[in-house]
Amino acid sequence: MFSIFEILRDNWLLLLIGQYPNGPLGGIACTLILSVLGILLAFPLSVLLALARLSPWRLLNWPATALVYVARGVPLLMIILWVYFLVPLLIGRNVSGFVTMLCTLVLYEGAYLAEVVRAGIEALPKGQMEAARALGHSHLGAMRLVILPQALFNMLPSMLSQFVSTIKETTLGYVINVPELTFAANQINNQLLTKPFQVFFILAIIYFIVCWSLTRAATALERRIEARRAGPRRAGTAPQPTVVVETLAAEP
Amino acid sequence: MITFSNVNKWYGDYRALADINAEVQKGEVVVVCGPSGSGKSTLIRTVNRLEEIKSGRLTFDGQDVHAPMSSAQLNRLRSRVGFVFQSFNLFPHLSALDNVMLSPMHVNGVKRSEARDQAMQLLERVGLASKALSYPAQLSGGQQQRVAIARALAMKPPAMLFDEPTSALDPEMVGEVLAVMRSLAADGMTMMCVTHEMNFAREVADRVWFMDAGSILESAAPESFFKNPQHPRAQRFLSDLRAH
Repeated sequence: MFSIFEILRDNWLLLLIGQYPNGPLGGIACTLILSVLGILLAFPLSVLLALARLSPWRLLNWPATALVYVARGVPLLMIILWVYFLVPLLIGRNVSGFVTMLCTLVLYEGAYLAEVVRAGIEALPKGQMEAARALGHSHLGAMRLVILPQALFNMLPSMLSQFVSTIKETTLGYVINVPELTFAANQINNQLLTKPFQVFFILAIIYFIVCWSLTRAATALERRIEARRAGPRRAGTAPQPTVVVETLAAEP
Repeated sequence: MITFSNVNKWYGDYRALADINAEVQKGEVVVVCGPSGSGKSTLIRTVNRLEEIKSGRLTFDGQDVHAPMSSAQLNRLRSRVGFVFQSFNLFPHLSALDNVMLSPMHVNGVKRSEARDQAMQLLERVGLASKALSYPAQLSGGQQQRVAIARALAMKPPAMLFDEPTSALDPEMVGEVLAVMRSLAADGMTMMCVTHEMNFAREVADRVWFMDAGSILESAAPESFFKNPQHPRAQRFLSDLRAH
């Protein structure tokens, strides 16, 4: 037990930011930046993929469907290796492990999020699209102004859980030398040689704290959204909760 | 204003509309009634092409609705047909005011300040100016339907279509919606209403169309339709209504 604190005391900076500023930014910082960038870039891709999947136009529908099925039907590690070997061939020069991992995550998470977005859109009552079209909005106009603002808001908890998955998936960056948290932990293990259990225990605890708190946040968010959905219906007679108005007003 | 000539519609083998020939004149209020499944809603939904037709010709304000046209043309056409749904279909993420402002701004390109003024006037007209900033979930069914009417009116349509506008409402809320529709009729709006409110038909309608099995079996002025229905199916329908 004591050695765990000793390892933490000696290596906390490495776990936090890797070898920065003497080397690339690593550790938890790298893991979080990779996850945040991954999900942020995957999000617009997923909306486009979902819209293409829902389009009656085959030229859009088929490639999007194929991409989503392939990305979801292949292990993530396989995609990482593909991107790792294929991207340098395609663009003619080497890219860093970080960029490789980011590309992979965007592709992989984009495919998963696309299905979340699609489900969110399809879960809305049909009358919403119909009413927008009856008022003269185009299909895309109705999507932008009426459907997506509602669907994306309802999907916030799912997106947060997807973010948690992304954090866990960044560990695989280890195999292509991305200096993220797992990589940092392994460096420490290689230095100490005799304390693998303690080192990887620390690693597990850090991942658990980050992911668990985010999962809790997702659950809390889900409850708030559920309360918002159920609340105002009852508020037909009762005074309106002001929180509800605030959350609604904050929507895009 | 709205003419149907030999309009036919099929759902697979099922004939939803059978040789519809009818006309709604400018300024006229037509109530479409009949048993459920008779094709009333299908008929009204063909007018703004929410439903396609198989054959025949349907014109709205002189324009052939089901002619081949670009989606931009169809959107422009739809923006000129006011449509009120049974289930209101207000946009729940927008306030009443924003619901009414949205389409004038984004479809017709009206400036925000102008759209806001107009929307406030319309909400005033349906008696809901004080609820402008409320969200649909905070409004009663009757209030939601009145906002939906204001939203349709905001596009300045030459005619309004109502698809069972009071069927999803609690009984005590039907009156407020019908009152708004009455005042629209009094202002000379061309209206086509699918409804089961026979008192509304009797007092407000210029003509009543009785439908069954996809056909208009009888088209008559309300006094004569309610006093002296000609078609046996209409007689049976009215006596069934009176039995309650």
